[in-house]
Amino acid sequence: MTSRNTLKPPRHAPYPDALDHKLFRQWMRTPHDVGGETDVPIPWEETEDEQWGARAYVTCECLAWRGVWCAEERRRKQNVDLGNAMYLGLPYYGRWLLAAARILVDRDHVTLTELINKIDEVKKRHGKK
Amino acid sequence: MAKNKEHHDRGHHAAIATGKGDPQCFKGKAGGPPKFKVGDQVRIKDLPDVFYTRTQVYTRGAVGKVAVVTHESPAPEDEAWDHTDHSEWFYIVRFRQKDLWPEYPDAFAKDTLQTEFSERWLEPA
Amino acid sequence: MAEKHGHKHAPMVEEISDFEALEIAVRELAIEKGLFTAEDHRKFTEFAEHIGPTPAGRLVAKAWLDPKYKKLCLEDGIKASLAVGVDWLKPTGFGTPSDYTDLRVLEDTPTLHHVVVCTLCSCYPRPILGFQPEWYRIPNYRRRLVRWPRQVLAEFGLVLPPEVEVRVEDSNQKCRFIVMPMRPAGTEGWTEDQLTEIMTRDCLIGVTLPKPGTTTNLKLPLHRAVNPAHH
Repeated sequence: MTSRNTLKPPRHAPYPDALDHKLFRQWMRTPHDVGGETDVPIPWEETEDEQWGARAYVTCECLAWRGVWCAEERRRKQNVDLGNAMYLGLPYYGRWLLAAARILVDRDHVTLTELINKIDEVKKRHGKK
Repeated sequence: MAKNKEHHDRGHHAAIATGKGDPQCFKGKAGGPPKFKVGDQVRIKDLPDVFYTRTQVYTRGAVGKVAVVTHESPAPEDEAWDHTDHSEWFYIVRFRQKDLWPEYPDAFAKDTLQTEFSERWLEPA
Repeated sequence: MAEKHGHKHAPMVEEISDFEALEIAVRELAIEKGLFTAEDHRKFTEFAEHIGPTPAGRLVAKAWLDPKYKKLCLEDGIKASLAVGVDWLKPTGFGTPSDYTDLRVLEDTPTLHHVVVCTLCSCYPRPILGFQPEWYRIPNYRRRLVRWPRQVLAEFGLVLPPEVEVRVEDSNQKCRFIVMPMRPAGTEGWTEDQLTEIMTRDCLIGVTLPKPGTTTNLKLPLHRAVNPAHH
């Protein structure tokens, strides 16, 4: 293996020639595409959904009902665009909720400033520090 | 500033799909008959993975048989950006598990898996 | 304040969580901007609270009792759903945005057993089957069922001989699927209601087979919510 094909420890970012095709494919893999990945048996569980989760689901469906987005756009934002770390690390309906917030901003229905201020106002209204 | 929001006609989907459903609202929109029929042997193309796909990596390059011709719809790679002008035929393709996974046990050689693809992902095999 | 006795996961001081705050903010902004109405939200909530697995169970029970209806189920799942009170166009008039309107019924035979997964997310025929169990949503089931189906089925208590083809349906586009298992022995002379009772959600996904006397899903540990929703 020549030094060109060896992944050297990055200083600030990988050298341009540090990724071979296989590594490139890994980076480009869409986070939701997990079929066939290695995993181990775990105890199966049921869970109760939180009220906020159930409401987030309804909000997402209402946004699609009234044509703000379609379900496939939601899936992209929710299951891919968030990135692998958030995909694996956030609760299921947390991702639905973030996708809904995102579409409001991405389609200019709400500015980010408005969203930030609204969240802040809601927190203060409910006494959260 | 409101460019994004004005491009997007929020009443469009309800107008075309009310009383019909989705994917029924896209019937006839592929612009022709399906390229493949039930029983055809097809290979899953390994198109570049960029930003979004619903064609699973585990199917890429695999050969299977068309089990069902399902419906016409925009491909998810287009619908995920709300581009619904073009529709494609969709197919459920059935694979032998042994053809998908190198270590799948010979003892269960009968086992199969089927999943759905838009036409752009299939080529004759 | 928010402290709940005997609930080890209760937040200590905050009134609402970050997710709760975001949920309220998004919903209120959407309504303020006229994207949907509070009435829309209420209507869809009502729809969501009334869906469950019984109609799908009844569809299979009816199909077991009536060969003509069974044929309809296999040819046109949406039309067949009407007979069990499910109109897939509801509540929007064009279907739920996430579940679409193309239901397919997968018929088991003595040499073929189906099981359903959505490896990419958790696509599920909600209008006729209700909400997915948590295990169906998580990456573990989605990673493993497609590649090691018999191991996963064994973990649900289902072991099938090699002569039975195990067919995994990876539900990755707009079609939605329920499994029609074979009618089990010991149900001769049963009514539609009796047959519906043993056709549980787990049977309709395909991780278990219907059995006389088994009218509930596999008993699994339940992780409780802090403020549970009423699905």
